[in-house]
Amino acid sequence: MKHFLLKASLLLMSFMMALTVYAQDRTVSGTVTDLTTSEPLAGVNVIIKGTSTGTITDINGTYSVELKASQNVLTFTFIGFVKQDITLSPSQTTVDVIMEEDVTSLSEVVITGLATSVKRSNLANSVESIDAKSLVGITEQPTMDNALYGKVKGANITSNSGAPGGGISIKLRGLTSINGANQPLFIIDGVYVDNSEISAGLNVVSAASGGGSQSNQDNPSNRIADLNPYDIQSLEVLKGASAAAIYGSRASSGVVVITTKKGKNGRTSVNFSQNIGITTQLNKLGQRTWDADKAETHFGANGRAAFIDAESQGKLHDYEKELYGEQGLLLTTNLSVSGGDEKTTFYTAVTRKKDEGIVKNTGYDKTSVRLNLTHDITDWLNIEATTNYISSSADRGFFNNDNSGTTMGISYVGTPVFAQLFADAEGNYPDNPYAASNFLQTRDLVTNNEAVNRIIVGTKISARLFKTDKMSLRLIARAGLDNYNLATTAIFPNTLQFQKNGNGLNGVSIQGNTVNKNTNFNAFLVHDFFPNQSLSFRTQFGITAENFDQNTILGTASNLNGSQTNLDQAGNQQIDQNRIIQKDRGFFAQEEVNYEDKIIGTLGIRGDKSSNNGDANKMYYYPKGSMALNLHNFNFWSVDFMNQLKLRVAYGEAGNFATFGDKYTFFNNAIIDGTPGWVINNKRGNGNVGPERQSETEFGFDMSFLSNKLKFDVTYYIQNITDLLLTADVPNSSGFTRQVTNAAELQNKGIEIGLNWNIINTSKFNWNFNTNFWKNQGKITKLNVPSFTTGGFADFLGQFRIKEGRSPSEIVGIGPADQQDEDGLVVYGDSEADFNMSFTNSFTYKNFELSFLFHWKKGGDNINLTQLLSDFSGTSYDYDKIDLDPEGQLGNGDFRQASFLNTTAPFVEDAGYFRMREIGLFYNIPRTALKDLADIRIGFTGNNLINSFKYRSYDPEVSNFGGKGLSSGVEVTPFPSSKRYNFHINVSF
Amino acid sequence: MKNIYRLNKLIALQFILLLVIMGSCELEELEFPNGPTEGVVENASRADIALIAVGVEHNLRNEMGFYYDATGIIGREVYFFTNSDPRYTGEILGKGGSDLDPAGFYGTRPYAGRYATIKNANLLLQALDKSNDVFTDEEKFGITGYAKTLQAYSLLLAANLQYENGIRTDVIDPDNLGDFVAYTDALTDIESLLQDGADDLAQAGTEFMFALSSGFTGFDTPTTFLQFNRGVAARVKLYKGDKTGVLSTINDSHFNLTSDPAELLDGPEHYFSTAGGDLTNPVFRVPNAADPLVAHPDYTADLLIGDTRINKVALRDSEAIKDGLSSDYDVVIYSSLASNIPIIKNEELMLIYAEAHVGTNNTEAITTINLIRSAYGLTVYSGGTTDADVMNEILYHRRYSLFNEGHRWVDMRRLNRLDELPIDRTDDKVHVQFPRPVSEPD
Repeated sequence: MKHFLLKASLLLMSFMMALTVYAQDRTVSGTVTDLTTSEPLAGVNVIIKGTSTGTITDINGTYSVELKASQNVLTFTFIGFVKQDITLSPSQTTVDVIMEEDVTSLSEVVITGLATSVKRSNLANSVESIDAKSLVGITEQPTMDNALYGKVKGANITSNSGAPGGGISIKLRGLTSINGANQPLFIIDGVYVDNSEISAGLNVVSAASGGGSQSNQDNPSNRIADLNPYDIQSLEVLKGASAAAIYGSRASSGVVVITTKKGKNGRTSVNFSQNIGITTQLNKLGQRTWDADKAETHFGANGRAAFIDAESQGKLHDYEKELYGEQGLLLTTNLSVSGGDEKTTFYTAVTRKKDEGIVKNTGYDKTSVRLNLTHDITDWLNIEATTNYISSSADRGFFNNDNSGTTMGISYVGTPVFAQLFADAEGNYPDNPYAASNFLQTRDLVTNNEAVNRIIVGTKISARLFKTDKMSLRLIARAGLDNYNLATTAIFPNTLQFQKNGNGLNGVSIQGNTVNKNTNFNAFLVHDFFPNQSLSFRTQFGITAENFDQNTILGTASNLNGSQTNLDQAGNQQIDQNRIIQKDRGFFAQEEVNYEDKIIGTLGIRGDKSSNNGDANKMYYYPKGSMALNLHNFNFWSVDFMNQLKLRVAYGEAGNFATFGDKYTFFNNAIIDGTPGWVINNKRGNGNVGPERQSETEFGFDMSFLSNKLKFDVTYYIQNITDLLLTADVPNSSGFTRQVTNAAELQNKGIEIGLNWNIINTSKFNWNFNTNFWKNQGKITKLNVPSFTTGGFADFLGQFRIKEGRSPSEIVGIGPADQQDEDGLVVYGDSEADFNMSFTNSFTYKNFELSFLFHWKKGGDNINLTQLLSDFSGTSYDYDKIDLDPEGQLGNGDFRQASFLNTTAPFVEDAGYFRMREIGLFYNIPRTALKDLADIRIGFTGNNLINSFKYRSYDPEVSNFGGKGLSSGVEVTPFPSSKRYNFHINVSF
Repeated sequence: MKNIYRLNKLIALQFILLLVIMGSCELEELEFPNGPTEGVVENASRADIALIAVGVEHNLRNEMGFYYDATGIIGREVYFFTNSDPRYTGEILGKGGSDLDPAGFYGTRPYAGRYATIKNANLLLQALDKSNDVFTDEEKFGITGYAKTLQAYSLLLAANLQYENGIRTDVIDPDNLGDFVAYTDALTDIESLLQDGADDLAQAGTEFMFALSSGFTGFDTPTTFLQFNRGVAARVKLYKGDKTGVLSTINDSHFNLTSDPAELLDGPEHYFSTAGGDLTNPVFRVPNAADPLVAHPDYTADLLIGDTRINKVALRDSEAIKDGLSSDYDVVIYSSLASNIPIIKNEELMLIYAEAHVGTNNTEAITTINLIRSAYGLTVYSGGTTDADVMNEILYHRRYSLFNEGHRWVDMRRLNRLDELPIDRTDDKVHVQFPRPVSEPD
């Protein structure tokens, strides 16, 4: 009965639309069906291209439309399906169309929610989508996160060091947390993926936390590096709360949603690719030119003698070349096979990667195996399974800050060129008289390995529970597992200079084992409702459960038995265990309304509770709302040269959890003379700790000109982060030193502009130009504790200051009284860039392709302590150069030392750069030349081949403290970064 | 088809029901998996209390490396030359007139370490108070006497660092900390806390219900621990200038007039070990290390010929040079990472005893000094006998007997003689006290 009404109204509509069509030359009719179900589709818009006239399909999927002789193209559109343009032959009167659900057309559909996607043209947010081609199409990438550099507006990506195997921090739209993670949430095929940085326990040797800083300086890699970029079909970056609210309490630093490749119905395709390359140090610094007097100044009479001896015997050594001068071999092999039939598709891939580093005995070795399957059980029930096994091993060397003088970085800067460090014929290394470590010996004998075995499994069941002509209800259930075992092995043999003869601990073996298991279960009901052809509603309701369990056991053995490295072959053993357990439960509900693709509105709410909050059962709510206005779809639109103008506004809230354990005050185990005891931990628990909350409002517009050849989009956002978590100092006399509290508010404002221009598009030559601009400005708007400095080592060496009304990434230090502000400190810079720009050019000429990506980071400062540490031993490359002293008197080395303790000015440096991130030149051998057997593609590519910066060290992109919180941009003798050259061959059948 | 839809509607209904059930389920509060939380104090067992008591002695050593290094460097006893941190030869020596940093780890960490010990002891006292387990009165007095003594000792070291900035002596409630009290008032509070502890220990029977480390061998019963308590009390009274008090207290301590070099060293010690989970001696450095702890050049220059305390330093293979400073001698007070560090030696008590006699009985002071001289291979004292002469002599022995144990700087300060400490580089300065830590608002 009600079907009758609908039918009647649809027929009426069709009739009325048909009336608007003028004198006709022919009538075209046909049936529209759904590709996956083969059922007729009702309500599909059938428009005569170039006009606003047309019709819609009826309940049986049939339509009929009248065309003039001059009209020969019909456009079929339906929400959630790929738009199709069908060109008719002059005499054709029947066109049956099969419409495909819009899941593969990535430029069109953006996966923004947990269960659903949105057409990009209807999206109210600025969401970046990166497809496989731009991820790995220009050049080979060492890790997945590395591939994002310069491609995402609003993303500041920093490599923490040059050590192979990753270690990258990604900050979306500025600093979103001071205390907690600033890293976005990564979700791969619905699986919440862990991105921990887990320390290998090197502190027992480096004592890095022994002095002013107590944070982790072990330079671990982050676990997102395990993922294989070649498996990625698309990657969506939800940059702030307005887009990511539906992910709730874990989403305030943004969300990266990754979809891996799936097979397609049809011929089985096989793709094989091989990369061979080399990596070399990006920027060599060298050492000052020594003479006998300088040697004496720094190392006394012995230094003079050593220099004279070395010089006369020709034994002045370029230790930079020795230590960092390796040309590492890079090998990556990828084989993928995909295909399927009507019911089942598959994609399987194996990737082998073996990268050497620029330091001998460092490197990264990875094997990744993937199998993705989809299967239609019935016409209404579909399952999808994604499985990824990864085995990786990274040898990372021994770098960064220490307090024992033993890392390769620290001992290298302490060692002049006239030191004699090479092993004799028997392999005995002389002690380094200038530093605690002979870094050549350290390089050759120390092991610092991270080995990962990881399995990531996702399952998705989609069921269409019922469907009528006006509505459908789908159930989507997902389960995900991310399970890995990380084994860290750090071995410092007792033959090392800093371990033997009572130096150090007579050999140290540190073996860590982390078992990480994340599981997540989600279920959603999606209800689509089309009361008439111009309105559609989509209602979603879902529940989510995420469990995290990480268990790290770290065994430290010292006083090793000879060359033995097993933990039990040692005089002393210590075991540490750390468990992180978190359970989150939540729900979400969302309503989308679409009026003729003209106005698209969304309202939603997410509720989350977590065992990490002070009150585990307190529900935190995160609302969102957005609206997109497609002006070009309105009837009044008559701007011919502009084919899209979308205005959009979005608001959303999202959270960020306190770190595990922040709510507890607890006792640590302590042993004295064999008796165990309990000592109170110096962090005071906070029973009221709750998540940080980000509220973001985003405005923007998207424009397209010249038939989409020129696209331009602008987005402005304001983020207010309240309940900002701070690790505040507490009065030490309380017996505690710190406590995590929700004590501040932070605001980020920024602008993001994108321009894509297909400048030339002919059959022979194609030139595409893309440029992005982004800028963010942060400000602490409220601070409930006194302003404080953090993130560095000490004020006189430069620190970040958290102060109301100021940028949270402001770098302060000591300085002349007349420059001091009310805190007695002087502001020397800000680690936040003035702006970032990237430029991508892609040229295709016949069978040649040339692409390159430039990235310009303007401004942004670093705290560079490498040169100062070098100065103390007189080894800095610019020691004798005079370009720092305003009076032109002192060499830079002397100037920096004279400034030390008086002013921080010379240690804060502009860390801006302009660099060619990626370049690739490819040649596609015509298929015809290979008798249609295969497509072969060969090419030469490079990473970071052109670099321009003023920064006085290896690379302005560096972080001594890893990816956490504020502290990117502090440099202490890191593993220098490298450039990469690759040759590629790709064969597909 | 219709049947399938009906079936599916049923599934949908069930699913909605499931959502409602799951949405309403409670999330259990997770136990902290990595250790006991502070809540253990609310209902502690005997075993728990013994663990917290052991923790107090463990914490007593906490961050003491920074205490000895920083006081030794400011007191111009030692230098620490390291490539890793320039502050040891920089602001700690007042290089270029620089001040100490209120956030500098060398001052804040030893300060925080003292209060962590005090906190652990307060938790011990609270746990004992609330425990439902059975304790004898003697056991209770043992625990309270032990806790108060170690709290008082920790407060004394904090006062040594902060001096005229004053310290907080009432820190039981972290949300309501007591006011800062002036240095002399702090000493009075410490003295009275020691007296409370002594009173408790006197009623504590013959043994503690928890274990002390072998560092406290000879001081590990309430009776002998009381001697340590009285030794610290004598030191406090000396700092207060209460010489009568010193003499009335010191005989209840482990004070023993002797010229036996071994007996001079009697006293409780911080235990150190390289065993897993334990702490290693933070002052020990390997001789001839590239990052050495070296003696101030005046150590050997001012040492009397024949004084065997030359053995506290050792000639280096090559001169250590850093930042315009140099030394030929490594500090070798401790032989390994497992060497204990004295807390209060009989030798110090003898010197306290001697000093308490200056001005009233210089002869007794000289007699005492001669015992020490003889122990270190020196002939009897032949210098002047004025108060000032005798005091100089005592100061000489305090300097060498207590070398790098945190005394020189404190002694010179309490005797108003900081200006006599050597200045090694133009514009270096001798700090009087550590700035109040940045974490402590007034």
